[in-house]
Amino acid sequence: MKITIKSILGAALISVLSYGCSESLLDKDPISSFSGQGFYKKASDAQAGVNGIYNSLQSTMRLNFAYWGEGRADNVTTRHSGDPFALQQNALTPIINSAKWDNFYTLISRANYAIKYTPTVFQTEDSPLRNQLLGQARGLRGLAYFYLTRIWGDVPLITEPYESVEQDIFVARTPSADVLKQVEEDLLFAAENCADNYTGDRDKVLFTKSAAQAFLTHLYMWQKRYDKAIETADKIITGNRHSLVSISDWNNIFTMGRSAESIFEVGYNETQTNALRVLYALGSDSDYVPSANFIASIEEGDLRKEKIYDVTQAQPRKIWKFFGEGFNDESADPSSNNIVLTRLSDIILLKAEAHANLNQNDDALTLLNQIRRRAGLEIMDASSANNLYGSLIGAILHERSIELSFEGHRWFDLVRTGLAIPTMKPINGLSDERNIVWPIFETTILRNPNLEQNEFYK
Amino acid sequence: MVLTTNYLPRIFNSCLAKIISLIIFSFVCLNSGAFAQQKSIKGKVLDASTSLPIAGVSVKVAETAKASSTDQNGQFVLNDVVIGNTINVSSVGYSEYSFKVSNQNEYIIRLSSELNTIEETVVVGYGTQKRRNVTGSIVSVGSQEIEKTSLQDPISILQGRAAGVQVTSNSGAPGGEMTIRVRGNSSLNSGNNPLFVVDGIPIESGSVSSLNGTQNFGLNPLADINPNDIASIEILKDAASTAIYGSRAANGVVLITTKRGAEGKPEIQVNATTGVSSITRFLSVLNARQYREAVLESYGALAVPEEPYYTLIDSLSPMNNGDVNWQDELMRTARENKVDFSVRGGNESNRFAWSSSYLDQDGIVINSNFKRFTSRINTDFKLSDRIRVGQSASYTNGVNNRINAAGTGNLSIIRSMLVRPPNMSMYLPDGSINGYMIGQRNPVGMALYATNLGKSNRLIGSQYAEVDIVKDLKFRTNFNIDYIAMKEDEFMPSILDYREGYNTGATRSTTNLTWGNESYFTYNKSVNDVHNFGAVLGMSFQNWRYDRTGLDGMYFPSDDIRTLNAASVISNQGVNIGSEHAMLSYFGRLTYNYMSKYMLELNMRSDGSSRFGREKRFGYFPSASVGWRFVEEEGIKSLGWLSDGKLRFSVGSTGNEAIGDYTSQGEFTLGTNYLDFSGAAPTVMPNASLTWETTTQYNLGLELGFVNNRILLTTDYYLKKTRDLLYNVPIPNTTGFEFITQNIGNIENKGLEVGLQTRNLVNAFKWNSNFNISFNRNKVTSLPNELLTNGFIQNGTYHILQEGLPIGVFYGWRFQGVYARDEDNVNNVINGANGPKYVGGDPIWKDVNGDNIINQDDREIIGYAEPKFFGGFSNDFSYKNFSLNVFLQYSYGNEIYSELNHQRNSIVSYNNLSTDALNRWREQGDVTNFPRLIRNDPKQSDSRVQSRWVEDGSYLKLKNVNLRYTFNSQWINKIGLRKLDMFVTATNLITWTKYTGYDPDVNSYSGLRVGVDEGSYPQNRSFMFGLSVGL
Repeated sequence: MKITIKSILGAALISVLSYGCSESLLDKDPISSFSGQGFYKKASDAQAGVNGIYNSLQSTMRLNFAYWGEGRADNVTTRHSGDPFALQQNALTPIINSAKWDNFYTLISRANYAIKYTPTVFQTEDSPLRNQLLGQARGLRGLAYFYLTRIWGDVPLITEPYESVEQDIFVARTPSADVLKQVEEDLLFAAENCADNYTGDRDKVLFTKSAAQAFLTHLYMWQKRYDKAIETADKIITGNRHSLVSISDWNNIFTMGRSAESIFEVGYNETQTNALRVLYALGSDSDYVPSANFIASIEEGDLRKEKIYDVTQAQPRKIWKFFGEGFNDESADPSSNNIVLTRLSDIILLKAEAHANLNQNDDALTLLNQIRRRAGLEIMDASSANNLYGSLIGAILHERSIELSFEGHRWFDLVRTGLAIPTMKPINGLSDERNIVWPIFETTILRNPNLEQNEFYK
Repeated sequence: MVLTTNYLPRIFNSCLAKIISLIIFSFVCLNSGAFAQQKSIKGKVLDASTSLPIAGVSVKVAETAKASSTDQNGQFVLNDVVIGNTINVSSVGYSEYSFKVSNQNEYIIRLSSELNTIEETVVVGYGTQKRRNVTGSIVSVGSQEIEKTSLQDPISILQGRAAGVQVTSNSGAPGGEMTIRVRGNSSLNSGNNPLFVVDGIPIESGSVSSLNGTQNFGLNPLADINPNDIASIEILKDAASTAIYGSRAANGVVLITTKRGAEGKPEIQVNATTGVSSITRFLSVLNARQYREAVLESYGALAVPEEPYYTLIDSLSPMNNGDVNWQDELMRTARENKVDFSVRGGNESNRFAWSSSYLDQDGIVINSNFKRFTSRINTDFKLSDRIRVGQSASYTNGVNNRINAAGTGNLSIIRSMLVRPPNMSMYLPDGSINGYMIGQRNPVGMALYATNLGKSNRLIGSQYAEVDIVKDLKFRTNFNIDYIAMKEDEFMPSILDYREGYNTGATRSTTNLTWGNESYFTYNKSVNDVHNFGAVLGMSFQNWRYDRTGLDGMYFPSDDIRTLNAASVISNQGVNIGSEHAMLSYFGRLTYNYMSKYMLELNMRSDGSSRFGREKRFGYFPSASVGWRFVEEEGIKSLGWLSDGKLRFSVGSTGNEAIGDYTSQGEFTLGTNYLDFSGAAPTVMPNASLTWETTTQYNLGLELGFVNNRILLTTDYYLKKTRDLLYNVPIPNTTGFEFITQNIGNIENKGLEVGLQTRNLVNAFKWNSNFNISFNRNKVTSLPNELLTNGFIQNGTYHILQEGLPIGVFYGWRFQGVYARDEDNVNNVINGANGPKYVGGDPIWKDVNGDNIINQDDREIIGYAEPKFFGGFSNDFSYKNFSLNVFLQYSYGNEIYSELNHQRNSIVSYNNLSTDALNRWREQGDVTNFPRLIRNDPKQSDSRVQSRWVEDGSYLKLKNVNLRYTFNSQWINKIGLRKLDMFVTATNLITWTKYTGYDPDVNSYSGLRVGVDEGSYPQNRSFMFGLSVGL
């Protein structure tokens, strides 16, 4: 028995000693994720880092693309309380959800990580994958800052990732002109380095050269740099990578996605979903229905009319555009359709508008009539444009309003053409220029002493 | 519990196992002669405190099962015993007592009441102590109390039975989660659960369920322990008793000790119970006609009145011509059956306890059921005079067929049965279920056809070896594991969906493995029974590993094949995660007492955790306590009326390490995918300087006994101060992160606990009472300014955290009635800046700042979730063979935010309403407290967090009534039985409360968002009948 005692004691002592010597027992690295510093090691990591940026683009756009792009404009009305009501009534407060910019900055943070670390995992600077990934990261970052300035004006400009508490986390706002410089730089880089196109399941849902050019066109229109806009739009139109679909396939641009006409769309599927159905198509309870003005503004004989909303009802309660004619699901479940952010018709009409601004009316009319012809409408000339819509620009904007209805363009079109106040004043009393930007969300202000609320909302 | 006879040799006394706790690994000194000689013994059994004889006491020879019982004079005779036999003496209401037959022929036995706890042994961290010598604050619940209930998990048993321990129900579902708090909440962000230790094994006590495993729908991992196996539960409350568990002890420690074998002839015990349970009350809802009126009215109230989108009642449509009260369809009288089987026994060197049980418990909602099989083997072997080894091992297989009761979600059956339109038909004319209508699934269909299944296998085991190195010095080492394997399946069939062939399924496999080793030396030395020394020195290593895999799928070709191989679309294959952390600890204890009169105890633990940065890894947790049994002082002893008196004081610190395993390192998370392309993203910002939360606790206790300890009073006053709270500090989201975890802020809990045990009647008719009451006052004493928005932190939807206020404060708008007429709004109060004016039928909100604009600034505190006091009152009556336990449990002064009432009183979608809506405002001049019904109310009156949904949650419950009949041993011995009991138990018999929901014992969130009723699975009232047979 003595032996047993000794051996047990021995074992106990050994175990005691081995513990004492091995505090490394307490070094535990993450198993299913990476520690903050340890992620970027190989090309596939860089690829995953960029996919992570798109992931936040999904959350950014899933609902709010409509609040930002349509909610304050004249094409929709709402019976819903909350954001839809506040936006439609021009009663914006710092506590509405669309005043949150969190998702944009999550996207930017992920992009900043990717931009900093992607080069570290490639041996050479001319690796095509390296440049495509960097191009996508910068293109997405540029897109995010473009939306940010259009919605809030001056915003904090952050181009480096946060990796330690030592960094300055209370960043003040940068003038929007400077932010837009960064947007242009990022998009130009993307237009240079992104892939021409993708096939299969990457088609349209990844950032390409033409996606970069399309958003550059938008940027130049926003900045009223019409020459630049025409030049950039031309690259897309003559690039032959995109073509207008026939009117019978028009709904398919949205219902099926990845159409020939599409330039860039945010991909969604059965599990990564968005709110299109709740926004537009849930007849009993959707956020938005077409406004009476909008319905009245559709020209006689427009083939798109019955593709846009439920024409069977006197008081339409469903927007069919994104789900197809006759759509009648009554579920508040989320949708899996892609959200098309820009497409060829959008660029054609922007180019037309740029020409019109430069008084190049023939060029403008040619482009405009391309879209009208498809919709089964009469060819327009300068005088009919003037008669019907006051000006050629007015006609083009009207065409954008119908063709691109509910796709998230209308409000920005009104703002950049200075029509926001004239259009919305009779509807909801919008009258102050400073009211055009959104307020910054309350807690965002409270968490950062260096941020000031937008003037109108103080 | 044992006041011994003078006739017994002293050595027996010190070596006898204390049956009530069954946990000392005492080994009886063998002194039986080599030559067995049969003889007769006789004796008398007296009540230890009254010295009155006790009749009907069972007296039994353990080795031969020969038995007798006492007559009216308390006398008994036993023939054919041999020297060395063990005699067990037991009687209802008294602690069991046993002695060895010596060469003496006459014995006087003094049985002490179960209530006399001063001499009992209590389990403490890494050892046991005599209650009389304990200087910390420890409360015990013994097996006798557990047997009187028909509850199926150890946490519910503690409800109302232990001062300072607050237990609330997150769910009334079988196997559903409970919340337990020892002396209040002491953490904001980390866990507030106590540490659970079963037979020395620290076990997992958080829900590992991951499908619907959200806070309000978790499973109770403690339900894996069969209450019938439990010998005692000790709750360690103050720092003196918990500090030896260091960084996991800030929320208290619950020690569960299971029954072990005792020396003697094997005793076989079979218990069988069967019974029924049903809901305690139904809530009233509108019928189809009233519902239709209400919905039409809500459309008519719009600025531009509309017709409802749906036809509300269509006698021609088979879909919506019903008039259903969904509660009637979903609630049932549920059955419950349980069988327990155990064999316990052993000889001088080998002892064993084996038990198995099977529970089949139906929930009161149709198609919910919990089946549990448990088996346990506890053994102790004496290898030599100096070495003992043994093990404790339990296996549990649980199958929990759940229903979705997840809060306010559209899929929650509990919510659905109150708000589904009554006009929705149950069945279609062809007999199939009307699965989907008006954007809502049929709740009966969901209960019947959807799958929410959790299957778990759990092994909790330890093996120990104990060596007497030299006299007074022992070494003990044990290896332990706690392994949980849980498989969960979920399926939503296409018959409940509007899309053809659209069904979804998900599966998750989770394993949770905790293993470790604890080794320690114990030294006990008594010098002439005057100076008593004790010491413990040891170390421990513990490792936690958690893994989860899962798949989600959709479009299964058939609703009948629900395994994921059948899914045509795998919608999520990204669930494959693991996580690990480890802790290395050293601990020690020194105790000294002088004649059990003056006592001193010092504890220290040092913990190193992998969760913290290298520099901050080790924490030190000391405690000190002193005790003075002043009753031993001559002057007080002579008073006579005071039979016990002890004053004790303790101070010490404990920690809380409950944060993410890798938070200090920062994290780059995989799974932020884009379509099918795998993605990764930075999700946690690193902070290498993170460290423990530390709680410093002071405790002052006074224990008094009067009238020969017929009255025992225990009072404790404590002050708990927690600092370095681990809190997710929000930072500007321009960084890309929402928050960073930091050590910040302080919380304080202070309170008073009183326990009163009395023996009111001690003659043939006996009445014992046990009353306890606890007052806890919780206060957040400091929060960093940068975290505060308007001076507070919003904590979820309903609560705020603010300096000077307790955790669990409801914050919102105060509802002051309803404008009877438009012109009653004399101040022209408007809803928000430039918003619409309130008119007749709108709620009157308290305009806190008097600016006639109702906005964020008009919120105020509208309720407190923490009770002013809570506790329980247990009464045991016995007369002859009958015994009756009546247990009352109460909570006073707590308020409940009934989100469920919000749900069922506001016109959202096509939901039904409560009958309160019949009193709604309809036209100018109506004086009522129920506002008008208006669809999508632009003033959003219903969805404000408001005092209208805050209710008094105080209650008094007749929680448990247990009536037991014990058959006379003379009779049953003749048919070969050792013991036969018959009993009836009623649970939740009566609840006195003003609360209008299902049950005031409700707490939908297990975290800090206390006191919210989001429609948890309701509590039930049950009646059980049982038989307990001993062989």
